[in-house]
Amino acid sequence: MVHVFECRGHYYIFDTGSSALHECDEKAARLLRARMGEDADTSDISAEERKAYEEDFAELEQGGLLFAPETAVRPVKSNEVKALCLHICHDCNLRCRYCFADEGAYHSRREFMSLETAKKAIDFLIANSGNRRVLETDFFGGEPLMNFDVVKQTVYYAKEEASKRGKEFRFTLTTNGLLLKDDVAKFLNEEMDNVVLSLDGRKEVHDVVRKTANGKGSFDLVIENLKNFVSIRGDKSYYVRGTFTAKNLDFSKDVLFLADSGFDSISLEPVVTDIEDLAIGKEHLPAIADEYDRLCDAYLSRMAEGKGFNFFHFNVDLEGGPCLAKRVSACGAGNEYLSVVPNGDIYPCHQFAGDSEFRMGSVYEGTLDAAIREKFRDSCLFTRKKCEGCFAKYICSGGCSANNYHFNGSIDEPYEITCEMMRKRTEDAMHILAERKKREKRG
Amino acid sequence: MNKIQTIARPAEKKVTGCGECRSTCQSACKTSCTVGNQSCERISRENDPEKNN
Repeated sequence: MVHVFECRGHYYIFDTGSSALHECDEKAARLLRARMGEDADTSDISAEERKAYEEDFAELEQGGLLFAPETAVRPVKSNEVKALCLHICHDCNLRCRYCFADEGAYHSRREFMSLETAKKAIDFLIANSGNRRVLETDFFGGEPLMNFDVVKQTVYYAKEEASKRGKEFRFTLTTNGLLLKDDVAKFLNEEMDNVVLSLDGRKEVHDVVRKTANGKGSFDLVIENLKNFVSIRGDKSYYVRGTFTAKNLDFSKDVLFLADSGFDSISLEPVVTDIEDLAIGKEHLPAIADEYDRLCDAYLSRMAEGKGFNFFHFNVDLEGGPCLAKRVSACGAGNEYLSVVPNGDIYPCHQFAGDSEFRMGSVYEGTLDAAIREKFRDSCLFTRKKCEGCFAKYICSGGCSANNYHFNGSIDEPYEITCEMMRKRTEDAMHILAERKKREKRG
Repeated sequence: MNKIQTIARPAEKKVTGCGECRSTCQSACKTSCTVGNQSCERISRENDPEKNN
């Protein structure tokens, strides 16, 4: 499959089968589109020009870089669990309107995970990890720092147990930053391989949605904590992770605000909600596409000025990155990645937490529901039929199972609005890759 | 080639399906999983054994 597209005045050919990206001129783009049966007028292209283009196309085809066959690699279907999302606290000190987790309570009572349950979860992960050496645990909430002592004790316990069994843990923690004081920051900086810091961008954008329990905006309460944390982080991984909604479709300004505030590792995600004034609908997609283009331009300008930053969705690695087996295996939720809620119950991922239909077991029982696990393990790019004709399928692997289920009733039915945004971001990411390579070549 | 410039060509993958890579949801997003912007852990380790072992 071949995708021909224009981005910021440049024309590109992306060959899905080989992952090769080529830059061409407008006439080549039209010729290739015509060859693929798309509506493209090529009557102005002379026979001589046509011959030159066709020679290039033929050379690429012979080199396996155009119309390359798609992969026969099958998904990884391991029975090893390699990551747990630990819901260390089903409570939150913020009341963000768009929160998928019911402002921390997950449609149930507010509760903290006990150290006993956290230890059981670590034992469960180690026991079910087979030959996998590196294990991952993500401290999530609600707000996990409300239960900081259990986070700390769990890290120490996991490291001790892992060392006895020749394994190693990598920890991630997601926080809103409200409780990120010096002693906490020091611990997270030492122990967490990645820290995700929630901040939506400009104060007026952040405060509209991310409010405290008494209804006040939280921006002023968190910004200095987040900046201080990043200042001690050094070269260790973190992301400032925001959400944009229908209220800030000019979200490139929020990304640039975050970059100007000293954060150099940024992710800004489209909201997932059905709240009417916040939800992203089809009618917003043209404006969002334009905004990704604006962000792409600014991203390249900043890079040229030596003020570059990392935007999560512009990091598409076509030459390296994960192997094809991983790319067709979807996200791994419900099989290699599971969520554990405060009472020890296990769900396929954090987005299914509390939905009894998806309860897979408990760390106290030590077993997993075979039918639910099989359903998730079998779900992969090839079971997502809508993805067949999508050029970005080996990049997104069929999207988020939970979003698919919540919007379309099936983990294998991709949510089209998310797909549209994904495709646009991917085109911009490919343009950025091309521009970066040209600049590197020029020195 | 005269008219077309190749920007990225896939590296030959030495390893497929070892399962050592990070689970996708451990990255930044938690809602917009993008497998393609992750790295291959095994190749990362081979390239930088000190950091990754």
